[in-house]
Amino acid sequence: MAFLLNCPNCGERNVGEFRFGGELKVRPEPNSSRDAWTDYIYFHRNVAGDQSEWWYHSFGCRKWMVALRNTVTNEVKDVLFPEDVS
Amino acid sequence: MLPKQTPDRLPSHPTQEIDRSVSVTFNFNGRTVHAYSGDTLASALYSSGVRIYTRSFKYHRPRGLLCSAGRCPNCMMTVNGIPNVRTCSVLVEEGMVVKQQNAWPSTEHDLFSILDRMDRFLPVGFYYKIFHRPKQLWNIVGPIVRRMAGLGYVQTRVVEENNYSHETRHVDVLVVGGGASGMSAALSASRRGKQVMLVDDQQLLGGRLRFDGNLYDGIPGVTSDVGYEIADNLSKLVTRNRNIEVMLGTTAFGLYEGNLIGLIQGRSKVKLRSGKVILATGIYEQPSIFDRNDLPGVMLSTAIQRLIHLKGIIPGRSAVVSTCDDQGYRSALDMLKAGIRIVAIIDSRERFPNELLAARELQENGVLVLMSHMLIRAEGTKHVVGAAASRLSDGHATTEEREFDCDLIAMSGGFQPADSLLRQAGCELSYNKSIDRMVASPMPDKLYAVGRVIGNDNLGKSIVHARSVGSGVAEVKSADNALSTPANFMHESQDLTEIKNCTAPSPIDLSQGAKQFVCFCEDVTARDIVRGIDEGFEDIETLKRYTTSTMGPCQGKMCHKHFANIRAKSLDNVDSAVYTTARPPVTPIPLGALAAQVHTPIKRTPLDRKHRELGAKMIELGPWYRPHTYTSSSNECLSVRNTVGIIDVSTLGKLEVVGQDAKTLLDKVYTGNFSTLKKGQIRYGILCSEDGTILDDGTVTRISEDRYFVTTTTGNIDVIEEWFKWWTVGTGLCAHITNVTSSYASINVAGPMARDTLRKLTKIDLSSDSFRYMWSRRGMVAGVQTLFLRIGFVGETGWELHFPAEYAEHMWESIMDAGKEYQITPFGVEAQRILRLEKKHLIVNQDTDAVSTPLSGDMAWAVKFDKDDFIGRSSLISARDSGYSEKLIGFNMKGSEVPEDGSPIVSENLPVGRVTSSRRSPITGQGFGLVWVPADMAEEGKVVHVRVGGENLPAELTFIPAYDPDGIKLRE
Repeated sequence: MAFLLNCPNCGERNVGEFRFGGELKVRPEPNSSRDAWTDYIYFHRNVAGDQSEWWYHSFGCRKWMVALRNTVTNEVKDVLFPEDVS
Repeated sequence: MLPKQTPDRLPSHPTQEIDRSVSVTFNFNGRTVHAYSGDTLASALYSSGVRIYTRSFKYHRPRGLLCSAGRCPNCMMTVNGIPNVRTCSVLVEEGMVVKQQNAWPSTEHDLFSILDRMDRFLPVGFYYKIFHRPKQLWNIVGPIVRRMAGLGYVQTRVVEENNYSHETRHVDVLVVGGGASGMSAALSASRRGKQVMLVDDQQLLGGRLRFDGNLYDGIPGVTSDVGYEIADNLSKLVTRNRNIEVMLGTTAFGLYEGNLIGLIQGRSKVKLRSGKVILATGIYEQPSIFDRNDLPGVMLSTAIQRLIHLKGIIPGRSAVVSTCDDQGYRSALDMLKAGIRIVAIIDSRERFPNELLAARELQENGVLVLMSHMLIRAEGTKHVVGAAASRLSDGHATTEEREFDCDLIAMSGGFQPADSLLRQAGCELSYNKSIDRMVASPMPDKLYAVGRVIGNDNLGKSIVHARSVGSGVAEVKSADNALSTPANFMHESQDLTEIKNCTAPSPIDLSQGAKQFVCFCEDVTARDIVRGIDEGFEDIETLKRYTTSTMGPCQGKMCHKHFANIRAKSLDNVDSAVYTTARPPVTPIPLGALAAQVHTPIKRTPLDRKHRELGAKMIELGPWYRPHTYTSSSNECLSVRNTVGIIDVSTLGKLEVVGQDAKTLLDKVYTGNFSTLKKGQIRYGILCSEDGTILDDGTVTRISEDRYFVTTTTGNIDVIEEWFKWWTVGTGLCAHITNVTSSYASINVAGPMARDTLRKLTKIDLSSDSFRYMWSRRGMVAGVQTLFLRIGFVGETGWELHFPAEYAEHMWESIMDAGKEYQITPFGVEAQRILRLEKKHLIVNQDTDAVSTPLSGDMAWAVKFDKDDFIGRSSLISARDSGYSEKLIGFNMKGSEVPEDGSPIVSENLPVGRVTSSRRSPITGQGFGLVWVPADMAEEGKVVHVRVGGENLPAELTFIPAYDPDGIKLRE
């Protein structure tokens, strides 16, 4: 992996500066069924294509951000702070 | 044979790169060789009479110069101890030591060449087929085969320093290839204000024009019309241009995502990020396929031009030229002018190229030209002495043969684009019949190509196109790649029909002998490839792996085209001439260039100097350097238990969590309750992942309504900071996380005399009535604002002091002075580990692993299921209801042995559990510690067996801490 991520705080940086935080998911309500929790914890959609995912700029501003990336081509279409995700 | 020095070279000429006024000598196989400055090792050796440069990989056949351009494997030698150096790319330097390799006793007389006669016993893929029965046979034969096959040897005895430099660079535009197109593109881009880097693997700019004396009319913006002068003009413009950085002798070996390019130049490696990349890598000439086409004296036609024009060398006396396009004629004319007799030109095409100036000139000089003929054989054993040609009919050789005497064969088997980087970038290639070449289709974003690599062979049009691409990339925003889409430019800038009939695929007739080499690196013949297909390896990728064709040092530069063509032909499908996948590196590069230097950042606490003064034995713990022991761990333990000890705990991770939602956040991430903490109160907490496993533990102190002070395990701080922040942004809570680990120094003072020691330094009432266990205060200690936490990891009355790191040494000295009368003793990590083990306090990641939960870790008391929600709650509820298989429990050895950490617990001779921490107790003198056992075994007083040194030794399990089980000491 050598692609670039455009950190909204620091600008375009090598992906090696970031930690991958997995795909964006909705956490179940506390008293959801065991199945719902199992799905959340152990199963991923793992899409081949555009995916919204978490990245943490560990060797930069140490902020979390959400990127829209094509998992096949590694093309990063957008990187936003979570509060700016519409 | 001792090569003689033959200084006779061609008269001086502007194309020559040698300086005859400077003479250089180097050592070759123990002999001194004279050369001119500007010679390559290969040209100097050729000039001194050397013809056999190497012995081939498998058959040990003699090999001489082939490409003379740093592509093929034929001239590799050991230079200054470095094996497999292409001598045609290295300029001579005074005193170089050059040795030939892969031959015994010498390259000239190699006894291993007997293998060449045994080729029928060594068919393609022989190592999969023979020497395998009986099974042990390969164990004997394998090492011999490996020793006899191959290239040079790495000198393993000399431990070479990693003296490669590693650099990371950024430029606006990178141009790969310093030919006319590359230079034109670089100039245009730089004139638009872009920072440009131009790299070329040769030692000079100019590309093939350096040795091109042809006239080119009407190229706009160029002051000359002679090939090499155009190159010279452009290279002067480039060199003078301050926006262009030129790196010569540099290979761009890999093109990775985001336009990351790996460059290697001698002993320095550059990781370059370039906004845009323009590839102007040109084309490689290919060999012709005929019997014994690998004999010394058989060279690519461009190699001969290079020797003549660049080095002033006359490579032979009489030459036969084998060609399938116009290139052969150009080379033949150059040879003729250099005084070489052209015996015959063997052209596989039907029609004589009348429109070609060089062809007409040769004809006028009475040179024999045989159209519709192919070269079928080279004669000779160690060097070419003759050649045989045959008339072609339907692409096959007929019995109409003609034989010639000659000492040089120039071959031109067509061209192949230098497209490795294009293909690495994911560019698809398709076969273009009219130019007999693969052509790249649409380019990826921010990648462009100019010149002959994309089939743009007309110099004038190529320069014009390169200029427009150069200025285009400087202006065009990304995503607009119309510029380099061949469909858009190729037809406007070049009419391909213009060169139709100038080129025909190089004929290959498999019946013409067994030594028609396709892959020179790995000694793969045309017949081997067909045999591989017959054995079922039709797919190009499997055929490549089976025959190892294209897998040698040249990485297909000399063979990819013929390899693909022979396969396509055998499958009767010429259009299926697909290529194999391209991967970095383009050229073999030393591992040292790729290996990063080891830079381990060691963190030192603000008290590091104090520890050294005290003679502490230091150890690395995670990123930190910490005192292991000062005197002896048992001594230090006893001091803590009996008087007072002091330990530097600055390495503890420290976070400040501030904000109106700080309490909500902590309640969410910890399994315990923290919103209910009173101001000043401390609570131990466990952090779990959503799957209920333990992530970390530590203390949480409520400083005020909306401010908490959190400590984490030493090595975990970055993970926990990240974790807290993630849950903050993920839930939209108003809380701010600040990592204050290095802002505060931290010292723990513990033991029966701790209170008396600290009392001297502060006005805070330290009595147990007013300052209770698990409470905190803020106040001055030795004049420094300090946060006091009364906690007891080691099980004694004690305080953890957190204060600005700048005062660390002052604080340490003050406490040491105050404790002097109580024999205060510094203790290290080892003593701390023993003391906490006596209290059965676990250390996350030492006593827990990726599946440990607070329930199985015997800390259910820290999990508050009555909370609505916390991270891991759902999983822990499942674990609570359905049970768990293992449990963490304490043990005491019955005998005197102390098991090592990690020793297995055995039951009926099977491992069922494991010791996580084990030490000799300073109190009882016996081994004790923590152990994971099956949940049904975890009973108070149960005896299990620990495997120690091959014996099963009894140990008694217990939930009760060895020291002060009721925590009375802590609260005193």
